[in-house]
Amino acid sequence: MSLVKSDPNPGPAPAGTLTAGSVLSVLSIPLAIVALMVLGSFVSPSFLTARNLVNILNAYSAVGLAAIGSTFVAVCGGLADLSIPANVAMGALVALGAQTLVGPVAAALLGILVASLGGLVNGVLIGYVRINPIIVTLGSGFLLLGLSQLLVGGGIVYSEPSAFGSFVAGNLLGVPVAVWTFFVVALILHIVLSRTPFGRWNFAVGGNYEASAASAVPVRFTRAAAFVLTGLLSGMCGVLIALSIGQARPIIGAGYEFVAISAVVLGGTSLFGGRGSILRTVGGVIILALISNLIVLIGLPTPSTGLATGTIILLVVAVDAYLRRRTGAE
Amino acid sequence: MMRLNIGTIGNVVVRYRLLVMLAAVAVFGGWTLDDFLTLTTLQSILDRAAVVGFLALGLTPILIAGQIDLSIGSIMSLAAYATIALQPDLGNVPAAFIGLGVGILAGVVNALAVVVFKVTSLVATLATLLIGASLALLISNGQPASSADPLFGLFLTDNFLAILTPRSVLFIGAALLMFVWLKGTPSGRNLYAVGSSMPAAISAGINVNGYIAGVFVLSGFCAGAAGVIQALSSATGSPIAGSVLLIPAITAVVIGGTRLEGGRGSSLATLGGVVALGALTTLSEYNGVPSYTQAVYTGLILILLITLDRIAGGDEGKTTRTLRSAAVAKQTQQGGTS
Repeated sequence: MSLVKSDPNPGPAPAGTLTAGSVLSVLSIPLAIVALMVLGSFVSPSFLTARNLVNILNAYSAVGLAAIGSTFVAVCGGLADLSIPANVAMGALVALGAQTLVGPVAAALLGILVASLGGLVNGVLIGYVRINPIIVTLGSGFLLLGLSQLLVGGGIVYSEPSAFGSFVAGNLLGVPVAVWTFFVVALILHIVLSRTPFGRWNFAVGGNYEASAASAVPVRFTRAAAFVLTGLLSGMCGVLIALSIGQARPIIGAGYEFVAISAVVLGGTSLFGGRGSILRTVGGVIILALISNLIVLIGLPTPSTGLATGTIILLVVAVDAYLRRRTGAE
Repeated sequence: MMRLNIGTIGNVVVRYRLLVMLAAVAVFGGWTLDDFLTLTTLQSILDRAAVVGFLALGLTPILIAGQIDLSIGSIMSLAAYATIALQPDLGNVPAAFIGLGVGILAGVVNALAVVVFKVTSLVATLATLLIGASLALLISNGQPASSADPLFGLFLTDNFLAILTPRSVLFIGAALLMFVWLKGTPSGRNLYAVGSSMPAAISAGINVNGYIAGVFVLSGFCAGAAGVIQALSSATGSPIAGSVLLIPAITAVVIGGTRLEGGRGSSLATLGGVVALGALTTLSEYNGVPSYTQAVYTGLILILLITLDRIAGGDEGKTTRTLRSAAVAKQTQQGGTS
């Protein structure tokens, strides 16, 4: 399927060009965040308190990690990783289940490793065998989630009390460790995506696969690495949540694939490859966190978040497709 | 004399995977269970194949046209819930028709997103998957609806001619009808052209957008039918009825041999794939294998087969026909030298 070959403008994202559209798109995320905060302060007096804002961020920090990985996947033209919930569950279950065997720190690392292996399977099949990413990750997610349920027999795994566990669940300088982790990882991977050869490969592969292959860009490796990275970050997401709430079960990451995708597209990263940025995805995560908090404060039932998320994905991608057609026609 | 190597054995297994799977299930079932190889087992397999079968049937023209529909499970849930929840207000039969209508409507939404708004079917139906699933949970408050008239739909699973039930007759009949359409009519043959090479189909004057819109509406209708049948025969409208059936449906279609790359496939192959997967499921249940394990092997079969198909199919961008003739040429060449 020719999903990734339509970009007439291959190579790195045209970040340096200043047009009315690009100024608007740079400002649109902060504007949306401010607008949502104003709206929230009208809805509830408790919205604009430091405690609520930190809570909002805390709730979305872990899934934000998966969204960062999904940005690499989208930029390199790999569409999306639908196995995120399965890798989150694997990371969480192993991180808690192995605690008594190897200790809390090693168990957390083991959880991240197992999730990375899930990502590796995706990466090999997508990058090297070149199977459609959606089908691969749909299948591997189904398989791994079944495997994780088999591991615990549908039950719950509880965390053993430990200094490491309470550190991860606690605060550092008044800010939750999960929030720190999200921002530090986001900053590092922002630099990786925008300033390193690996980052440039991602843009090149997503912008024009054939041309990149011809210019000796390791196209297969790049795409595979994006999925391994997403597996690793999903594992971190699972470990963070499991240690924060002190328990893990297979449905721990249900729906996270959609949160990650919508954070990516809300930030303006194209699902069809070639352009995007981690900072924009961070903006997307914050917007989603605010929207979901608003839905709770207004008193709408929880599935409304899914409805909003799905509609956002559809609208943003439709606009993206329209803009691409228009620029393509010029 | 012909030497058998692992490669040729692999090719044979992939090509005749349907028969291999069915034979393996029959042999293993006959070996582990005393009363597995009976007409009752066959009836049970065909009966239970009906629901996932309708999903898989709807998916078949979609894949032939080179598209994908990930929202079928969510559409099925919506239709199943509507079929039961509307019974008190509308009556049993009108409510069932509303269930079908919900499916068609959802198909129209997908068609609009793909054809008019030009959103890739993968992403469009991924979004409608989420929208449909959330909508079903919102409308139902997360609670399944129980039928006030539970006996109404029971006839669907009644005994019919020893190996059939009314709902398996519906499924097999629909598969045959689709086979006639796909293979025997000009519009069916045009669909293969759309999936093989869209530019060629456009230059041949085929209304590509019309065909793509059509297969999405058909897929929505089939998912609606799956939901109506499932809801009526279980007398329950569950808002999550279809959420776990997307992967089994895709797997069944792929087992049948329909390719994700488009341009190739058949509804009879899908019928075979559904029956093979159903036989495997029935065998595991008879042996007391937990349902999680079924998710594991279903996912494994799917990934294994698409990988083998991909390796056998070669690179992206070439049409299946050239690949097939290339493969045939290569085989005859090898046959000549060995």
